[in-house]
Amino acid sequence: MQNPWVYLGLFLLVGIIIPIVPIAFSALIAPRKPNPIKQSTYECGIETVGESWVQFKAQYYVFALVFLIFDVETVFLFPWALALNAQNPAVLPAFIAIEGVIFILILVAGLVYTWRKGLLEWA
Amino acid sequence: MTITDFSVILPVTLLTAWASILLLAELFLPRAQRPFLALLAALGLALTLGISLAQSAQEFAPGFGGMVVRDGFSNFLNVLFLLTGLFGVALSYRYNQRAQIERGEYYPLLLFSVAGMMLMGQAADLIVVFLALELLSFPLYILSAFAYPRPQSEEAGLKYFLLGAFASGFVVYGIALTFGASGSTDLARIVASVAAGSANLPLLTAGAGLLLVGFGFKVAAVPFHMWTPDVYQGAPTSVTAFMAAGAKTAGFAALLRVFGAAFPALAADLSPLMAILAAVTMLFGNLIAVAQTDMKRMLAYSSIAQAGYLLMAFAPFEIEAARTMAVAGALFYLLAYTLASFGSWGVVIALEKDLDRHLSIGDFAGLARRSPWLAAAMTVFMLSLTGLPPTLGLVGKIYLFRAVIEGGMVWLAVIGALTSVVSAFYYLRIVVNMFMREGEPAVEREWWLEFAIGAAAVVTVVVSLWPFPLFEWAEWAVMKLF
Amino acid sequence: MDASQIIFFLSAALILVSALFVVTARNLVHAALWLIATLFGVAVLYVLLEAGFLAVVQVVVYIGAIAILFIFAVMLTRRDLLSQSSQTNANWPVALGVSALSLAAIAFIARGFGFSLDRPLAPVPTDSLERLGQALVSPQQFVLPFEVASVLLVAALVGAVYVAMNKK
Repeated sequence: MQNPWVYLGLFLLVGIIIPIVPIAFSALIAPRKPNPIKQSTYECGIETVGESWVQFKAQYYVFALVFLIFDVETVFLFPWALALNAQNPAVLPAFIAIEGVIFILILVAGLVYTWRKGLLEWA
Repeated sequence: MTITDFSVILPVTLLTAWASILLLAELFLPRAQRPFLALLAALGLALTLGISLAQSAQEFAPGFGGMVVRDGFSNFLNVLFLLTGLFGVALSYRYNQRAQIERGEYYPLLLFSVAGMMLMGQAADLIVVFLALELLSFPLYILSAFAYPRPQSEEAGLKYFLLGAFASGFVVYGIALTFGASGSTDLARIVASVAAGSANLPLLTAGAGLLLVGFGFKVAAVPFHMWTPDVYQGAPTSVTAFMAAGAKTAGFAALLRVFGAAFPALAADLSPLMAILAAVTMLFGNLIAVAQTDMKRMLAYSSIAQAGYLLMAFAPFEIEAARTMAVAGALFYLLAYTLASFGSWGVVIALEKDLDRHLSIGDFAGLARRSPWLAAAMTVFMLSLTGLPPTLGLVGKIYLFRAVIEGGMVWLAVIGALTSVVSAFYYLRIVVNMFMREGEPAVEREWWLEFAIGAAAVVTVVVSLWPFPLFEWAEWAVMKLF
Repeated sequence: MDASQIIFFLSAALILVSALFVVTARNLVHAALWLIATLFGVAVLYVLLEAGFLAVVQVVVYIGAIAILFIFAVMLTRRDLLSQSSQTNANWPVALGVSALSLAAIAFIARGFGFSLDRPLAPVPTDSLERLGQALVSPQQFVLPFEVASVLLVAALVGAVYVAMNKK
């Protein structure tokens, strides 16, 4: 098999099969004797109070936002790192390094901003 | 990488760096020092303006392998955008204090937006066009929603963001199709591939159409204008002033650059479309503006109508001789529009004492007695927007109309002239209110604001008396474009 | 029909069906989860086009960050708003017409492009990712957009944080 993506597809397939098999197996061979206590949602737990849909803290949202920005930064830095490591680079490696540092420095300004605004604290 | 590369993007780089430093400075400055931020922002803009002016004598130079260029066109626009930024700061300074929206992010975002506009003027590659579009729009979305917790401002920001993001989608799709049709995003290479006959013309036309839709949103041309009145009304007035002038000019910069430089081969297909777009925009904007009583909404519809006049510049693209004059006329008119628009929004700011109440046209009654200079300046701006002497607006309209007539589209010039007459009704109504009606308007006296209004009015009148050097500059600016 | 075509039809079906559920699901969390399925299907399409990097970006950015952001944003809202409001408004026939027109336009454009199922993919060089990196850092190519992207990210970060901060 030459295409490496095939392995990924196989993993996916196995990942889907593994949980399906035991569930199907137990559904086939398990004895069924239902009674009201067994059927309750939390057979040996505490009944929930109120709605299960609770309002999240806004902090989660801000964290996700900051994460998204730096996630995109990583996406850019990945090919940059490959270029830096290239056998016969089109540009001087020092230049490539400087370009990457500028890229990161600009984003550090954003990080400092979030830090000084106190958004990185869970309070 | 050469020195030329850096010198081409020096103004943009300086402004971006300044904005970043301003952003950091705000974080470490004590609260009492906040007013200095406005001064620092103005200083950065002035410095960049100085560099741009110093570079204006230099020759055409491409940078970064043709990603950006420096030519007369970009120089003219850089100066215009930096003036827009300076006006924006002058109008914002006291207004933001009054409206209690003097927050540290304001000026860095404003500078980022100006940097995006300048990059737009210099872009010679569709990828840079897109990045510049986003860089200039994104701060504007935030600034529109800046006056938290006023729900109107938040609504304005959200509407602008949603429709702006939608328009950006059109631009990206247009770029993708253009790339598919010609194999390049570089404007010069697109032209070359069309000339060599290797481009897929139907696909290129589709791409150009999608780009037109996207930029149409930005310049608020009918039928892509829906967001304009709500956003202009809801956003803080200082932001509206900046947006009305800056975003529109940047949108036209992109249109002029992309459609002027890259798609002349499509002129036969596009120019009737552009002419219809211009006619519809002029008719719709002016007719709806007549019915407005709210000052901010009226100026919003007026800015839609002005986009129609500017769109006229794209109509005569089939005729070689008329094309240069049309683009030069558009640049000239953009300058006239910027001054008049900023001036009139400045007067609105001066009269907006109670920020929660909308300023109506009736609130201008008696302004001539209360504050004669302000009334005189407002009269100048209204005359300029109508296109009456002695103002730059008249000169700009003459240039545009002449280009359209030379391009063989007399009907469009007739529509332009007729709608100008319609526009006189609502512009001059304000003048009548100021001079003929009795009233006690509350006027804020702010030095920076008055200085900006006064400067805009004086330039509008004085330059119109001898406009030829300015027009020569505009003509020189477009020389290298084709 | 070879294996890649079978995979294409499977993932295309996944994209269409899950996209349909995204817009019809009444529960917004379910809609967000279906969106992840859609995005995953698109990632598979990128793989089929041998654009491996784009596929990874699709998973890392769209599924890994944007979908999560959507779910957090949904969880910030109150549930009782959902079940009452109607899913369509009076404009739906107009929207349908516009969508149909857009589809027709796209089909028309695609026809001009000369798509064909039997046409083989252009060969992709094995070091394409390294070439992408080289293009990103080369001053003759994309170094300026590369740096401008960074500025754009900062502006977006500041703006988004500013707006989100006020909601606290």
